[in-house]
Amino acid sequence: MSTKAGLRAGDGAKDGGASPLSKSLYNLSIQQPSSSSSMSRADTTSDICPVCKSSRYLNPNMQFLLNPECYHKMCESCVDRIFSHGPAPCPIAGCRRTLRKVKFRKITFEDLKVEREVDIRKRVARVLNKQLSDFETLRDYNDYLETAEEVTWNLILGVDVEATNRKLQLWEDSQKAERNPNAVKRSFQADSSTTSDGSHGVVLKKGGTQRKAMASSSGNTPDPSASLDEAFLETGFAFKGLKKYVPPPPEKPFDPYGGWSVKPQLYTLRGDYDVEWLTKVKDDPSHVAGGYDMHEFYSRALCEAFGGLGVFIDEEIPARENQSSGNAVIGTQTAAAAATGAKDVNMDDVF
Amino acid sequence: MQLTEDNIYRSSSQFRNWSFTPAKLAAQRQTTNIQASERVKAAFARQRAQRARQPDTASASESERGNGSGIDTGSNTPIPVTNPADVNCLTVAEEMKLVDSFCERTLELGKFLKFPIEVTATAIQFLRRFYLVNSPMTYEPQTISRSTMYLSTKVECHHRPAADYAAMLTKTTPESVIAPEYLIVQGLRFTFDVKHPFRGLKGGHLELMEMARGNAAPTPHNTQTPAELQKAMQALPKKAGEPPSHLSAADLEKRITHAYTLASDTLKSVALLTDAYFLYTPSQIWLAAHLLADEPLTAFYLSTKIPTSSPMYPKLLSRLNACAELLSSHRKFASQGTSEEEKKAREERDKKEVSALMKKLKQCRDPDKLDLVKLNQAQKRDALNADGQLEESKAKRRKMDRDALKKEEGDFWGPELPSRNGEKA
Repeated sequence: MSTKAGLRAGDGAKDGGASPLSKSLYNLSIQQPSSSSSMSRADTTSDICPVCKSSRYLNPNMQFLLNPECYHKMCESCVDRIFSHGPAPCPIAGCRRTLRKVKFRKITFEDLKVEREVDIRKRVARVLNKQLSDFETLRDYNDYLETAEEVTWNLILGVDVEATNRKLQLWEDSQKAERNPNAVKRSFQADSSTTSDGSHGVVLKKGGTQRKAMASSSGNTPDPSASLDEAFLETGFAFKGLKKYVPPPPEKPFDPYGGWSVKPQLYTLRGDYDVEWLTKVKDDPSHVAGGYDMHEFYSRALCEAFGGLGVFIDEEIPARENQSSGNAVIGTQTAAAAATGAKDVNMDDVF
Repeated sequence: MQLTEDNIYRSSSQFRNWSFTPAKLAAQRQTTNIQASERVKAAFARQRAQRARQPDTASASESERGNGSGIDTGSNTPIPVTNPADVNCLTVAEEMKLVDSFCERTLELGKFLKFPIEVTATAIQFLRRFYLVNSPMTYEPQTISRSTMYLSTKVECHHRPAADYAAMLTKTTPESVIAPEYLIVQGLRFTFDVKHPFRGLKGGHLELMEMARGNAAPTPHNTQTPAELQKAMQALPKKAGEPPSHLSAADLEKRITHAYTLASDTLKSVALLTDAYFLYTPSQIWLAAHLLADEPLTAFYLSTKIPTSSPMYPKLLSRLNACAELLSSHRKFASQGTSEEEKKAREERDKKEVSALMKKLKQCRDPDKLDLVKLNQAQKRDALNADGQLEESKAKRRKMDRDALKKEEGDFWGPELPSRNGEKA
């Protein structure tokens, strides 16, 4: 780790700030402590890796990571060094959780308690995501919100974690079953790796099968069958005043005409018409092979035969103009008068 | 949410933009004529003022004017610049006569070029529509009619490259075909769809034939059975006012086909040359043509569609009769009454009138719009000069840009990207 970090620092020095990115990063890391000198103490503690004790002063590119398993932070190079060969226990004294490298992520908040609370809230909000419109009364909704908050604080403060986790899992599964009835129902198993601060041991994915028996015997993980029974007992996702979920109606096939159709008034289309001048086209294989359908021709010909038969231009056009302008008849005289005054009204001219 | 056939027609641009009452049509033509005359007079006044200022160059500009358009090539005598008040502009009737004659010429042009009738018909309607908002005094009908034909080959899916099209005609270059194209499209208000009555006639013919065979499709208003309809049809009189006849099924079919042929001829010639497209809908036009061909049959057919008792029937029949009258009033309508000599004499008279009008048109052409090709060239971004070359400074800049680009192409990262404000970073 130190070699790598040293190499990086050396790179920056050798460049002499040639690359703009590394230069700006360098400036950023230099300026940060100097700008807030009053918080220098807090900064120095937050800028020193608790594992390898290397500080940001020596290694400006240092980045801290944490694992949501135990929320202990350490620098990137420590993570590389300790966990690159597989899962290992947390190097912080007193914490014996087994961590894996993939779970490490960057720190968003300086205060790790906040970081953890945000994670928990995220998880709860994913399950308890009802809205006011889903409830019959505001009162029921408020009750529901209180339940959600209670669950959240139980998890944050570590009160009754086991039961709360099981409840959450139950709700999640019941909602999943409701939204997607075809999904295969998983057996309810509180996976301890997702719980953040349970006091029981860690079950690894690799050795999960071997250790499951041990874990369940220790009483930390509830028996799957027992939890299933409980699910039925608790009737899953039940809140007072919650409206029943109505799945949205299946989408109709796309209609390019937006529901409009042509209903001819004056003719009824027949299946086939037999006229001498059509036989040539009908029997021509080159027309049939191309997918030409005589019905298209029939419907179009008949539609054009009667389209506009009841449209009387000498009545409809003046009526339309009356509507639009309010000026009834523009006689020849008025038009002539208008034309002499106006320059180019009706004559569009490109030149 | 259901539409009737009439709703569909009402949504067409032909109904929305190109349907007029007779009074409105006349007013529109009047407006166009007045505007064009004003413009011609103004242009003449300007020219006169210019010439008064520089009397030396007068003859030069005059010869230029003579070379301007194809129509003037025959007579190159300098036209004396008349007093703008004396310019003898065309009247509305004269303009109409000219446009009508050019519609006929377009019809013949379509026959000569062996284009489908739809192409010719669309071209003619474009021409008529164009000259509703423009005057022949402003734009010369000969070039415009050739250009509308070219435009309608594109509209009606009968594509011909401009060069091929121009090669088929005399005294026509691809440029002269293309030059007024945008102008025409503007005049058409960018509406290209012309609804013709041809297919409607075919549809009516299909139904009539089925009806004659005794398997008519039921319509909401009609209570008669197909067999009854067939019988009634066979008993129809040959002409209005004659006693009922008794035709065999084969004879009836012959009669229907004959009526179809006649009506089709009418639609393909006379209907295109009149204002029918502006005043009536396509279905009214084809029924009117059919009415001219076989009145009892058409009246009977109409009565199967609309009951004679409804107020709609006499109203519609009066429109159809009016339309039929419009069609039959045209000179070209081949009625049985006129003799060959009379027809010939009529044609002769018409020819004389038109040639006189063409002479008159030459005197009152708008001098600003003589050379459409040149005007069109000037519009373009890279206007070529007389030698077919780009302007010198432009050509030089192009060459420099091209050279710089070529030089930079060899660079590892390629040429520099152009910066936003146009200059190199």
